[in-house]
Amino acid sequence: MSEQKGLEAYAEIRFLAPEECRFEESPGGLLVLHVDGERYESVAVHRAFPFTYGDDYLSVRDKEGNEIGMIKTLKVFDEQTQTLIRKELERRYFVPTITRIDRIKEEFGYGYWEVQTDRGPRRLTIRGVHESVIPIGEERVLIIDVDGNRYEIPRLSDLDPKSYKLIDQYLV
Amino acid sequence: MATEIRLQDAPGEKAPLFVLPADIDHEGRFIESELHVFPEELRVVTSGVIERSIPLARVTELRAEGLVGNGSLVAVVDGEEQLVVRYTNDHLARYSEMARQVNRMLKGEPYSTILTADERICPKCGRYLPGGSTVCPRCVDKTAVLKRMWQVTKPHVQWLILGTGIFWVIALLRLAGPQINRMLVNTVLQSGTGTMGQLLFYVGLMVAVAVATNLMHVAQARVMTNLSSRLSRDLRSLVYAKIQELTLTYISRRKTGDLMNRVRRDTNTIQRFIQGQAAAGINEGLLLIGICVIIFAYDWKLAALVILPAPFVVAIAGAIRKRIRIMYHQQWRAGDQADSLLQDVLSGVRVVKAFGQEEREVRRFVRYSHKLAEITARNEKTWNTLFPSLRYIMGVGSFIVLLYGGQRVLGKQMDIGELVQFSQYAGMLYGPLQFVSFFPRWFTEAMTAAERIFEVIDAEPDVQESPRALEHTIEGRIEFQNVTFGYEKHEPVLEDINLVIEPGEMVGLVGHSGAGKSTMINLVCRFYDVDEGRILIDGIDIRDIAQHSLRSQIGVVLQETFLFSGTIYENIAYAKDDATPEEVIRAAKIANAHDFIMRFPDGYDTRVGERGQRLSGGERQRIAIARAILHDPKILILDEATASVDTETEYQIQEALARLVKNRTTIAIAHRLSTLRNADRLVVLDKGRIAEVGTHDELMRAKGIYYRLVQAQRQMWRVRAVEG
Repeated sequence: MSEQKGLEAYAEIRFLAPEECRFEESPGGLLVLHVDGERYESVAVHRAFPFTYGDDYLSVRDKEGNEIGMIKTLKVFDEQTQTLIRKELERRYFVPTITRIDRIKEEFGYGYWEVQTDRGPRRLTIRGVHESVIPIGEERVLIIDVDGNRYEIPRLSDLDPKSYKLIDQYLV
Repeated sequence: MATEIRLQDAPGEKAPLFVLPADIDHEGRFIESELHVFPEELRVVTSGVIERSIPLARVTELRAEGLVGNGSLVAVVDGEEQLVVRYTNDHLARYSEMARQVNRMLKGEPYSTILTADERICPKCGRYLPGGSTVCPRCVDKTAVLKRMWQVTKPHVQWLILGTGIFWVIALLRLAGPQINRMLVNTVLQSGTGTMGQLLFYVGLMVAVAVATNLMHVAQARVMTNLSSRLSRDLRSLVYAKIQELTLTYISRRKTGDLMNRVRRDTNTIQRFIQGQAAAGINEGLLLIGICVIIFAYDWKLAALVILPAPFVVAIAGAIRKRIRIMYHQQWRAGDQADSLLQDVLSGVRVVKAFGQEEREVRRFVRYSHKLAEITARNEKTWNTLFPSLRYIMGVGSFIVLLYGGQRVLGKQMDIGELVQFSQYAGMLYGPLQFVSFFPRWFTEAMTAAERIFEVIDAEPDVQESPRALEHTIEGRIEFQNVTFGYEKHEPVLEDINLVIEPGEMVGLVGHSGAGKSTMINLVCRFYDVDEGRILIDGIDIRDIAQHSLRSQIGVVLQETFLFSGTIYENIAYAKDDATPEEVIRAAKIANAHDFIMRFPDGYDTRVGERGQRLSGGERQRIAIARAILHDPKILILDEATASVDTETEYQIQEALARLVKNRTTIAIAHRLSTLRNADRLVVLDKGRIAEVGTHDELMRAKGIYYRLVQAQRQMWRVRAVEG
């Protein structure tokens, strides 16, 4: 019986409810969390399921990397807090969206791409298609370049025909 | 694309210590800003304008955060954390190195302003370099490589000369065919005076030429295979010998697979090139030249007509090649996916069955294999449409010759024999032309492979043999004097180590993982040279002892016991070629290995299988101990010599080890502290420094790090005892 209880204690998820915690932005531009009478400076917000659930199931972690608690869904927080947390998420997960592919040149096992993203134009280099162009479901594609920078195409069918033709050769 | 680091001198002021690109703004857009680090302040500069400046006097620490797809530099300013700049992953390594150096500067410690983060970009063209290599396939100096190849080829020059001779003969024979045809047509068939004897003569001649051509092709294949296999054998031996000579630093920086590629794949590429593509290339090239010379000499106008479609053929072949490559790449990938799924399922078949997921796996496999079938069918269709079309275009030249030539024949300006000859030459022309369009790619591949091989052959070993190096018979006294060392110079793993180990003493190294235990051992073996201080053996700096002499007197028993494929006998005798059977058996007996070896049907001749997989862990370890005993080293190194074995086996191993360490200077590392109970002294390392030295009892009384480690381990054993 006591063992059962022990396991439950391990499996417990601490969900942060809007009424018990307060997020704010520090003057230095980092996220601060007040909870249980404590002030946590420079907290990090990690996505537990970055591809499947996006902004649900977020883990809020202190500077040392210990979990303070989880957020089940951002929607329960007020607008201002949502904006703050989204800003921190955006800082952690820098994944520009590719809106157009201008050119792909392949040479000696590397692919040199010239693309337009929602953050501005970018040239990127990928190696070995397998690890670099990763389909997520039917429509979404994640692209990881040789330096580990990430790019995303949220909907393949939204691409213009030329861009689609260029990326299609990498999709099997 | 990575931006280059620029060190610029602003007029009238000191140059910054570091200049790093800061290519993402706070809103997450790509920008072209820079972070300038001066001794007094941090500056964020965008197109020459200072946007922000933070005096370093107020900063206590810099932190380079590696995030997902980007990084942030955070500074602790007046005790509060501040976001300074954001940057793409391109600059992650540089920022973390810079932050480390600046933190040292802030603490008043010595620091470096040279960032050593590995450059993976070709300095000439900005392209990324293939894994583990500094050779850019684009910028490789092909003539220099050819010169080097010539050096390697020289010893086999007789084969090269023979091969070249055969090429000429083949080209001449192939050119002779249409000539004979012309004579046959003109003197026998068309003249009206031809006899049966003449016919037989010409047909016989054609048969003879065909037979000779074939024989020459056989001879050519043999000669080229001979040459190329000799060359690749030489290259392979050179690379292999060099890898043995190179230090661990070089090898550990590269993936094993990468070095294996140099030995195997790159030499194969060269071999294939010489015996296949280069041979065919010379053949076709000579033929092309020969045909051109003949037809132009004969009738330049007709020749020009024949050549006319050539550029189109080359261009079209090039375009088709590109298309085909993409097509087959997709097919290859789909096949690869199906293969890996199959491999996954087969190796995990127990899991699949245990969870009853057979049906799902079948469905998955069917999906992949369906996809593969679709792509393959599509590719075959495309290929079978494209290739005949190319053939047809190539054939157009012959039609032009027929049309133009036929008209000249009608006008009696040309005879039928010449027409036949010409159209045959025109038909022969397109083989070489198509080949020409493929050749540059093969040539580049081969030259890049060659350069990659030379890169290894030319590498300088980090641990150099000193000219003063001497043979020394080791007594066994080891002394560390102020030793500081790091695998990357800016990141010391050991700092200021001072330790004397007396001959015959057994010292146990203790500490958390990453404390520097294995590094100390690597230094004693001189796999690396110290950065500061020195290591003395019997009072002699180990850099002055010949490497061979040093290592032949050091014996190592490692945690990952490595056995070579071969017999138990060969493995025990590895370090002593001339060991007698008696010596081997004696060593095995001391190592408590003799009895289990004798239980195998093949005794000492039992094959251990790849890496000794057919033996249990305990058996492998005892064989390694026997190997060390036979080697009879003056200095013995035990790295975690007892790992996961049952109590009885551990006892056997402990006993064997106790016999082994007798009268030898021994340095032992063990995570299980009980293993070290035979040690004369224990040295506790903490974060690269010696924290405590003493016997087990002394250290337990001192209640320091060692005491806590022992307590933690006892706790763990207790938990395991309860669970088990």
